[in-house]
Amino acid sequence: MISELIIGGLASGSLYALIGIAIVLVLQATDVPNFAQGEMAMFATFVAFSLLTTYHLSWWLVLPLTLAFAALQGIVVQQVVIRPLMGAPIMNAVIATLGLNMALHSVAGMIWGNQTNVFASPVADLPVFKLFGVNVSPDSALTIIVSLVMVILFTLILSHTRAGVALRAASQNQQVAKLMGISVNRSFALAWAMGSVAGVVAGMLVAPILFLDVNMMGPLLIKGFAGAVLGGLSSLGGVFVGGLLLGVIENLMGAYVSGSFGEALSFLLIIVVLIVAPAGIFGRVKSQKF
Amino acid sequence: MDPAAGSNFPRSTMRSKLVVAAIALAVAATAAFGGGYFVYVLNLTGIFALVAIGLALLTGFSGQISLGHAGFFAIGAYASALLAQRLGLPFWIAIPVAGVLATAIGALVALPALRLKNLYLAIATLGFGIVTQKMIFEWRTMTGGGGGLQVPTPMLFGLSLAEGARMTGVIAVALAAGTWAAYQLARGRTGRALTMLRESETAAACTGIQVARYKVVAFAVSAFYTAVAGGLYANLVRYINPESFNVNMSIMFLAMIVIGGMGSVGGALLGAAFYVIVPEALRGFKDAPGLIFGLSLMLVVILLPGGLASLTRRFSKASA
Repeated sequence: MISELIIGGLASGSLYALIGIAIVLVLQATDVPNFAQGEMAMFATFVAFSLLTTYHLSWWLVLPLTLAFAALQGIVVQQVVIRPLMGAPIMNAVIATLGLNMALHSVAGMIWGNQTNVFASPVADLPVFKLFGVNVSPDSALTIIVSLVMVILFTLILSHTRAGVALRAASQNQQVAKLMGISVNRSFALAWAMGSVAGVVAGMLVAPILFLDVNMMGPLLIKGFAGAVLGGLSSLGGVFVGGLLLGVIENLMGAYVSGSFGEALSFLLIIVVLIVAPAGIFGRVKSQKF
Repeated sequence: MDPAAGSNFPRSTMRSKLVVAAIALAVAATAAFGGGYFVYVLNLTGIFALVAIGLALLTGFSGQISLGHAGFFAIGAYASALLAQRLGLPFWIAIPVAGVLATAIGALVALPALRLKNLYLAIATLGFGIVTQKMIFEWRTMTGGGGGLQVPTPMLFGLSLAEGARMTGVIAVALAAGTWAAYQLARGRTGRALTMLRESETAAACTGIQVARYKVVAFAVSAFYTAVAGGLYANLVRYINPESFNVNMSIMFLAMIVIGGMGSVGGALLGAAFYVIVPEALRGFKDAPGLIFGLSLMLVVILLPGGLASLTRRFSKASA
């Protein structure tokens, strides 16, 4: 029983973690907490849905097309909405992402309607399997594995590619990065593209488990933020563990303490953790210049 | 998340007085001649302007962010409704009492907030909002849970305030008092301390400002404003449901003060008016209110980084 709850928690937790990572990739680079992350992911997931059902393309074609669309979407948002706001107070950019969130929600409703759709899972045909005597659904397994791969992939990109190193430099000090010949704007576009890709992967993983509709990502976005803060915003690994922890805690609280208070209790726990560790569990406090 | 830099309340006292006078005139005219719908929109604007002033004291002044103010709004609404319903208190006692209760809770919420910054603070306050909403949902015997709560009709001098534009008068008085108090607070020792706190906590501490004390004060005062607005809201609509006091509401409160411009009371009024009137005006567009409201949020912050209040400032500069 408890091991099944933990597996279920890990599966939903890895979705929180992916959204959290999408948020932190953008936050680390541009200091903007992206409140549009949820609807950007929902929009791109709907694009995948259209490609799958309306145009009957195979998964092997839909996957790269959707990822490319998501990357493009991130770049367009960064160039059109966020770039004009560089230098303005961060709160302005936050409100802009909020506006984008509403606009995308509304446009998606216009294009795809407000009904719920069934989004077929690529592993729907596989049976439930046993791992160390615990029943694991193929969807849970896929979710956990894919998000783990994504975290490792993003960490490697940030630490081992020229573009990734340039991005880290640009996020630490824009002036110096510019003097080193780094295009800060291009680096930030990369951050938004990576965030958007992480988001749509979460969207495509969650759509088969829940249903696909325009309201799908709202709760997930809040949980993604919460998980990221719980882990600490300074490293992708920390964010990942924070998301997983939140998922597991939520599942266990819901089952053993109170079904209806599960969510409220996990937020209470986050507050308690933050009182003890104000920068999250694995967070380091950024040193501040005066 | 730095709040708008260089904002301070007492900048344009004269113009703000004019704005207040114009608003008062408009309120009086609408109350006298306007239809029920205009009165309704005006009432809501006044109520949300109170929230915007309270939140501007917290975010615009001390630089702390809150995503939990819907919680204070809900506490004000429910506490004042229950005091009226269970104890038979008149609304003009119930609302301030609810405000004081929220002030105490606000001070408590500020305690964990003392060590938190930016997104960490945002998520902690968000948690407060979610927990508050959940408690209202689950404490069914007291609050009626998801079924909502009927609020007794507010009475003043034996007159029902549910009729005509009588509630507008009450809201206008509360808003005027709230505006005046905010000016006094902002101009005085507290306002200067909070401004310093926003610019640099370390520098503030070095000059002998008790950082912790003023952070708690900012939270408590802001909670009072928001709860009073919540109480007025409950007495205006006379049916409240925990569903409406959600995370979205907290986020919209924040949007309101950024849109209006964080540094001035006029900005708070403009932000509240934008928040109430634009969605109402867009009701005609069948599918598109979300799209147009979202686009207008983006356009305002991109084209007017200082909020709508900077527009009037720009006008007056051009004419001077």
